[in-house]
Amino acid sequence: MADSSGTTLMDLITADPTPATSSSSSSTSAPPPSATSSTSLSSTLGKPATEKKSKRATLMQIQNDTISAAKAAVRTNIMPQKQKKKPVSYSQLARSIHELAATSDQRSSQRQLVQHVFPKLAVYNSVDPSLAPSLLMLNQQCEDKSVLRYVYYYLARILSDTGSQGLSSGGGIPTPNWDALADIDAVGGVTRADVVPRIIEQLSAEATNADVEFHARRLQSLKALTYAPSTNSDILSRLYEIVFGILEKVGDPSQKKKKGILGGKGGDKESIIRSNLQYASLSALRRLPLDPGNPAFLHYAVLGISSADPVAVRNALEIVSEIAARDPYAVAMALGKQVQPGGALQDVLHLHDVLARVSLARLCCTISRAKALDERPDIRSQFNSVLYQLLLDPSERVCFEAILCVLGKYDSAERTEERASGWYRLTREILKLPDASSKESSKDKSQKIKRPQPLIKLVMRRLESSFRSFSRPVLHAAARVVQEMGKSRAAAFALGIQDVDEGAHVNTFADASDLNDSDESTHPESIRRTSSVSNGTAGRDTIAGMLASLMEVVRTTVACECVYVRAMVIKALIWMQGPFDSFDELESIIASELSDPAWSAGLLNDVLLTLHARFKASPDMAVTLLEIARIFATKVPGKVDADVLQLLWKTCLVGAGPDGKHKALEAVTIVLDLPPPQPGSMLGLTSVDRVSASDPKSALALQRLVQAAVWFLGENANYAASEYAWESATPPGTALMMLDADKMVAAASSRNPTLAGALTRLQRCAFSGSWEALTTMAIRSGEPFRLQIYEFLHTLAQGGLQSQLSDVHLSNGEDQGASGTGLGVLLSPMIKVLDEMYSAQDDLIKEVRNHDNAKKEWTDDELKKLYETHERLLDLVSLFCYVPRTKYLPLGPISAKLIDIYRTRHNISASTGLSDPAVATGISDLIYESSKTPAAAEPDALDDDLVNAWAANLGDDGLWGNNAPAMNRVNEFLAGAGTDAPEVDEENIISRPSVSYDDMWAKTLLETTELEEDDAKSLGSSSPDSTGSVETSISSHFGGMSYPSLFSSRPNSYGADKASRGSGPSIYEGISSPIREEPPPYSSPGMYRNESFENPLAGTGSRSFESQDDERISSGNPQFGSALYDFTAGGDDELSLTAGEEVEIEYEVDGWFYVKKKRPGRDGKMAGLVPVLYVNQP
Amino acid sequence: MILAVLFANAEGNILIERFHGVPAEERLHWRSFLVKLGADNLKGVKNEELLVACHKSVYIVYTILGDVSIYVVGKDAYDELALSEVIFTITSAVKDVCGKPPTERRFLDKYGRICLCLDEIVWKGYLENTEKDRIKRLIRLKPPTEF
Repeated sequence: MADSSGTTLMDLITADPTPATSSSSSSTSAPPPSATSSTSLSSTLGKPATEKKSKRATLMQIQNDTISAAKAAVRTNIMPQKQKKKPVSYSQLARSIHELAATSDQRSSQRQLVQHVFPKLAVYNSVDPSLAPSLLMLNQQCEDKSVLRYVYYYLARILSDTGSQGLSSGGGIPTPNWDALADIDAVGGVTRADVVPRIIEQLSAEATNADVEFHARRLQSLKALTYAPSTNSDILSRLYEIVFGILEKVGDPSQKKKKGILGGKGGDKESIIRSNLQYASLSALRRLPLDPGNPAFLHYAVLGISSADPVAVRNALEIVSEIAARDPYAVAMALGKQVQPGGALQDVLHLHDVLARVSLARLCCTISRAKALDERPDIRSQFNSVLYQLLLDPSERVCFEAILCVLGKYDSAERTEERASGWYRLTREILKLPDASSKESSKDKSQKIKRPQPLIKLVMRRLESSFRSFSRPVLHAAARVVQEMGKSRAAAFALGIQDVDEGAHVNTFADASDLNDSDESTHPESIRRTSSVSNGTAGRDTIAGMLASLMEVVRTTVACECVYVRAMVIKALIWMQGPFDSFDELESIIASELSDPAWSAGLLNDVLLTLHARFKASPDMAVTLLEIARIFATKVPGKVDADVLQLLWKTCLVGAGPDGKHKALEAVTIVLDLPPPQPGSMLGLTSVDRVSASDPKSALALQRLVQAAVWFLGENANYAASEYAWESATPPGTALMMLDADKMVAAASSRNPTLAGALTRLQRCAFSGSWEALTTMAIRSGEPFRLQIYEFLHTLAQGGLQSQLSDVHLSNGEDQGASGTGLGVLLSPMIKVLDEMYSAQDDLIKEVRNHDNAKKEWTDDELKKLYETHERLLDLVSLFCYVPRTKYLPLGPISAKLIDIYRTRHNISASTGLSDPAVATGISDLIYESSKTPAAAEPDALDDDLVNAWAANLGDDGLWGNNAPAMNRVNEFLAGAGTDAPEVDEENIISRPSVSYDDMWAKTLLETTELEEDDAKSLGSSSPDSTGSVETSISSHFGGMSYPSLFSSRPNSYGADKASRGSGPSIYEGISSPIREEPPPYSSPGMYRNESFENPLAGTGSRSFESQDDERISSGNPQFGSALYDFTAGGDDELSLTAGEEVEIEYEVDGWFYVKKKRPGRDGKMAGLVPVLYVNQP
Repeated sequence: MILAVLFANAEGNILIERFHGVPAEERLHWRSFLVKLGADNLKGVKNEELLVACHKSVYIVYTILGDVSIYVVGKDAYDELALSEVIFTITSAVKDVCGKPPTERRFLDKYGRICLCLDEIVWKGYLENTEKDRIKRLIRLKPPTEF
């Protein structure tokens, strides 16, 4: 039966208690006489009869009744007048419309339509095109205004429906793909393609109907027309024609209405009609695609600014400001005198429409900054003056927009120069109201601000008062404005604008200009630049003083209850933080904030990204920012995105300069000393129990973070420490002699404390898989580091030797019992490569000695052998990490000469390019080498080149920008992108405020089977002590060689890493996994469909998706049905049906059934989606 | 651009939703995000007290009115303050239609008319009419300014 879509919202609405039933609905669930079995089922629940419960009972009754009633009544009774049970299914509604349309002249039909049919139809998100003929008929014949209003509404929805699987822009209950259904639809096979031209035809005729009686309908049809698909150029040009046609008639300035009658009271009929039409056509024009080549747009939009209708003015201004962004010169010319005192733009200042004034601000900003108007400073300053006046606007929205415009933020493109001059403007310029301001404005307000005011003072005062607001949006916006201010300020400092002297006394400008007031009052240019007078007085009236007092207020705002406001405040503080200010206060604010569990991971990462952006603006701040990032890593390791954090480390490491490198690396290594899990228990497998006991999720995340840090250290420690084997002067033999471990450690730390520190940290967390990182370091470092690591790995693999060695690696004080770890297998390849290198070095030294003793020259064969060993070792080493092949000497520095001799003799080029096994095996992308080969070939410049390369990459993102996931996030963030849907944490899905009935039901039924399984699953996913996740985390050590490194980036394997995690026992990665994309069932699956009135439309059910799947499958009794009509699959996941075919219904989704057939159909498919309406359920 | 307007009841069931410029596959995420946001924060909030959130550069303003929570999502020009204007217009229209902060029942009784109001307030992702009386006239198929 067609009403099987089980739509809760429709149920709720059709539960509408008519007078007859309303009395019972509010008290108990006592079923009315006609109650069916399902009603009694709900009353056996024995729960207190809440309103909801009784509603359910009523609903069920009505729904059940409706099925039978609809069968009996609707079909026969054309006017179901006193029918208590309203139609609930879409097809019944549709049928009613067809029937009622035919009798639309009758009052009762009209009432039925307005009160029952149309409101219920609104629940669906799209409208069947086959309704169009009836709607059009109603449109022509019915005279009832309420009916007609609905008709326009639905016609617009048909026009706007893109037909994509029942998901239109409208929202509501998803409905089937009407066009796909239409081919075989019993209603008559009408598709959108059939009806859209007819609708447009009729609406266009109405839109051009000049009859005064028809006036209101004309406006509505114009509106409905804007929903027509704008991709169709025929329709579009037709719409332009209609709109411009109307505007031509009404926009004639000679007949323009006078000002001051905005409400329309007392206006004559003709002019009101004109302004209404102007409103409707400008609103329509605003929704149509802007055609910059068409001068009519600008012309009519400029006329519209003088319209009597405030909404028309807003739309006109929006159009004009959009055009101004492309062609400021034309707009400025077209606006002409409008901007001058008494002009239309000045009137907008007092228009009671916030968004109109916002558009005005943008318009003024665009024109006053336009390069095209460099020749016309007068025009620019006029617009500038209007912009500055908007700083006094009573609405925060407008004032803040004006501030942002002044600050140089008015589009998404961030230009440092623009920002810097924005800061200059804000701190230097002065607002002086034009003397000839319009009369309305010269009330009390303008009295107060008659005296010219420095912008900065105005802005600060305004912001401070906004921060005292109780409204959270205002606080949020104010913090955002401060953040933008910080950006502009940072830009000004970055460009080194000499004039930025924040100690200057701002009143000096004002006073100076005050004195000249009389002289300049005749001057059209009311805003003047004044040179800064720096007297260095610190105090309330210096910029620094004002900033300090503002920041005081900003800081107090962290007391706001709303975490989003606090996040914005912290971002503002980060931006306002100067590179040389003390950041103790900020640090303590952030630290105390982070202990608040209300912070979501997304929000925290946003702040991390802000740190990134801040670093980009002021590389000087690298160390400060790293310190802040460190707080994140230590306080909320479970919430931060390790990739973003790593990227921040890296960019800061590169940006920190030679002096900051050590500090930068410290910030990273600190992660390995994280406090939450105590030393000794934190990193080993044994620790997991303890951490997971408190919070399994964050323990897992912590491990990931630690791995990230380990990998980062391995990859970048050598860079940070500027320690490279190929630049090491120490011959290997020297180190070999220092076999005493303590001496070795001492030598190491005196030689390079940075690297030694990193090494110690890495050794300490050997159980986190740091051996790979250590191997990388061993390969890249000279002695004694390599030997130190070699011995450590050896100990780890073999065990039993630690007493002979230093206890560095055991600093946690526990006997790790290396022999029992079973790590030998994992470590042996790494030890082997070092073994080979050392033995080859030994051999070489022997050979050299032999040759020296015998005073023999090296023969070609000997050289060849040596060279082959060299190449073989290089290949071997390249398997582990990237090394510059041209310079790397696995055989030690003494081999350099000999290999060089052989190369020259045999004319072998140093760079081997593609034969590099690292390329062949795909372990490394070798981005560095492939794009920077010249640099790598230049022996002495490597280090600098690395830095330069990276510094450059930070600027243009060329190397990284497109493939590193974290980098994408950073770039997106910097670009201000953000339409992606937010991810909802896993726990969200469980957090439904109340335990609903079907939850309980599901529990009792499924408790013993699926729920346990689910629990086990989710445990496996989130708690690392289950074997499954240990496996995943170990495997990710190996899959996890994906972290960014200065040497090589392997961003592509990041995905693989993720995938491998996802393919573990969990779908832990959450909502972003494809499984989550599947829309939730809008009605409950299978057998408890009737009971689940609670079933949310939102689909944010209390159950996780996996468990839903399980329920579907496990709900046991499959439902069978038969195809009512033929259905042709419209997509890959759909299934074609032949009428009468038997199917097994698996579950329902969005008005679709997932069904299985007994045998494959013509297309060979056995299972897929079919529209609910097409299947008959017994 | 106003990306979404969403009405939900106390249980988190969505009563009305209007998306604009949001890809179909993201709508589910938005729905659950918003409903979760409301469930976490709307308890004990006064009628029409505005709450704010943001995600990347998208702003969210939401509030509660009677039994119904209302969420508005926007970006670009529709920042938190502009959305406050939008939500204010919506709440006053709903109150106007329902006579007072609505119960869920009342809201559903007036469902059709609320949809029409919304149609006049948000038009293709932009805020259109803001005045209560004007909206009232327009949903009765009267011209915005009476003559």
